Amino acid sequence: MVWKLVKEVLRVGEATVLYPFVPAVVTAGFRGRPQHDPERCMACAACAVACPPNALTMATDMAQGIITWSIFYGRCIFCGRCEEVCPTGAIQLGQEFELAVMNKADLFEQADYRLAACSRCGVFFAPAKELDYVLILLEQAGLSGEELEERKALLGICPSCKRRSDIAKLVGLDQEAV
Amino acid sequence: MISSVEAKPKIGATYVNALRSQFGPAILDEAWQAADQVTLTVELNYLPEIVETVYYRLGGWLATVIGSDERPLNGHFAIYYVLSVEGGDENGGPAHEKAYVVIRVLIPPHQPEFPAVSPRVPAAVWYEREVRDMLGIQPVGMQDKRRLVLPDDWPANLHPLRKDAMDYRYRPVPTTEEETYDFINVEGEGIVEVPLGPLHMTSDEPGHFRLYMDGEHIVDADYRLFYVHRGMEKLAESRMTYDQVTFLTDRICGICGYAHSVAYSTSVERALGIEVPERAEYIRTILLEVERLHSHVLNLGLACHFVGFDTGFMQFFRVREKSMKMAEILTGARKTYGMNLIGGIRRDILKEQRAQTLRLITELRSEMTTLVDIFLNTPNMVQRTQGVGKLETKVARDYSPVGPTLRGSGFARDTRVIHPYAAYDRVPRTVISKTGCDVLSRTLIRAEEFFGSLAMVEHCLETMPEGPILTEGFQYKPYSYALGYVEAPRGEDIHWSMLGDNQKLYRWRCRASSYNNWPPLRYMLRGNTFSDAPLIVASIDPCYSCTERVTVIDVRKKSVTTVAYKEMERYCIERRDSPLKQ
Repeated sequence: MVWKLVKEVLRVGEATVLYPFVPAVVTAGFRGRPQHDPERCMACAACAVACPPNALTMATDMAQGIITWSIFYGRCIFCGRCEEVCPTGAIQLGQEFELAVMNKADLFEQADYRLAACSRCGVFFAPAKELDYVLILLEQAGLSGEELEERKALLGICPSCKRRSDIAKLVGLDQEAV
Repeated sequence: MISSVEAKPKIGATYVNALRSQFGPAILDEAWQAADQVTLTVELNYLPEIVETVYYRLGGWLATVIGSDERPLNGHFAIYYVLSVEGGDENGGPAHEKAYVVIRVLIPPHQPEFPAVSPRVPAAVWYEREVRDMLGIQPVGMQDKRRLVLPDDWPANLHPLRKDAMDYRYRPVPTTEEETYDFINVEGEGIVEVPLGPLHMTSDEPGHFRLYMDGEHIVDADYRLFYVHRGMEKLAESRMTYDQVTFLTDRICGICGYAHSVAYSTSVERALGIEVPERAEYIRTILLEVERLHSHVLNLGLACHFVGFDTGFMQFFRVREKSMKMAEILTGARKTYGMNLIGGIRRDILKEQRAQTLRLITELRSEMTTLVDIFLNTPNMVQRTQGVGKLETKVARDYSPVGPTLRGSGFARDTRVIHPYAAYDRVPRTVISKTGCDVLSRTLIRAEEFFGSLAMVEHCLETMPEGPILTEGFQYKPYSYALGYVEAPRGEDIHWSMLGDNQKLYRWRCRASSYNNWPPLRYMLRGNTFSDAPLIVASIDPCYSCTERVTVIDVRKKSVTTVAYKEMERYCIERRDSPLKQ
């Protein structure tokens, strides 16, 4: 039996790899560090809603009109739900898995986006890029001319002003009176 | 793809009829969650008798117990005793149908107590202690008054799973500095008490053991776990959506995480009557078996280590790497994580991945054949494990252990066969059981099951149908509930989910396999030598990795000594220079 073992050990030879002195190769579909493309991102927060461990979060600064997307890699579980739900393909999981840092702050990444202000009341209400995106979708859906302009005007109004204007329309009141 | 539960023939109706003829008016309500899942609400006073009848006369095994605060729903606390009923093995019960029969009682909030089942069915001991801790419902008649889950410094009247108790982020001020847990006391001429644990900086899953020794022989054992209770049930019920919880369930265990994820997903799917696409069922089956591959090789490696055969340990771990690679190819991570959603699977298996996996299976089969042969013929192996750590058939029957621990004691129970889930009713399966009741039997079962798993993965990869992998577009029905179950490498993992009305679970109960295997460990340790203790604990492959140190209390000399776990492990391997004699 000992011979069998020795034979097996000799057959196998050196099993230890040289990592970390040579890079470790991962398979093609490996789910590594999520990479964020701030250009494509429109701060819609779909990823933050889907993220199971709350690694992705959004924060809004209503005074400055800023919405901040941020990721904490220390919490990320590399499930890739963010990639799956992102409407613009702004997050993709890469191949990188060596995430150790000397400084915890290096595990955070963030991006600030401008909020659009309501054309009626002036309160910030939605990421400007998200509104642009909706507009593009409306155009792609075949809207044009007057209809598009009407929708465009509606897009610039915050939900509470929209509600007020709807009520006004329903009861036939002058909008200013509501 | 929503199917009607009512249309299918009911499996287990004979058991319900048997109970009705015996207890008649004590059975208040009957609700079917699936063709083979029924919940009977019974009169509170009849609870122990009915559970005992189901357990011992109808051939039931206690799968889990759920305590639930249903005051917002019906004004009561509820407890559910889940039994897998498999036909009378005593006094010849009715048929041999395999069904889940759930016995439910409602408890009025002004008198939060219920007659304990554990004096009649020992398997319920941990569950009833946990219900008392988490919901503050008293099991009347239970001898064991100690806490199970809550720490000693937890306030007396704070029961975390009561809906009005606390926010999931709340951390109460500790009420005591001291450990107040009352370990059992075995005294007698020459009895030495050996505590192991509880904590060390490097131990990721601590437990606190006390071994009561007569010389080198273990007379009795007591242990305490739950030092790292993570409050997952509360977290899921408070913060997470249905789909998010599938990723939380992955993290229940570093080994059988995917099994938990499938058990959870199927519990929700079953509650809603969602049919998972066939291809997704096959992929789930494949990944569950890949998980079993690496888990069983890990345990075989550890068995080598504990009998002092470290070359074997290294070789098993070298081969295990191939099963980890398989997981990486199929799921995109070394662990089979992040693959489930309610309704199916997130990622398909492509042609190239299939080919790579099949190649790895061939390699694994040939290398493991050689290694297992070497291992079993190592002179030390059989000598160290045969007749050691015996789990007698009677104890096994009383405590409902699961997985290889139970199958090593002569019971051919494997959830994959008894209650097929995913695609298990379409793959070749055999239940491997042994009658030795010892460490050797449990180890041999793992070795044989490894090859069974390889065959299953191969079969699924070759025969899986084309098609979609995720069912979408269903509606969540508030307060529907059902069970989900999976035979994980260490035994059955069982989840029970009740959906809520706010995109969150109203109640989610998860029970890992080791939960059922810990209580009978005491009986496995009795009568064995000190040096075999690590080997016996490892043979149930528990979800807890290191007990770091050992304190020796010599009752005769009234002295206390602390032995490092490393020292105990060394003694287990070398078996000379006993640390007890220093």
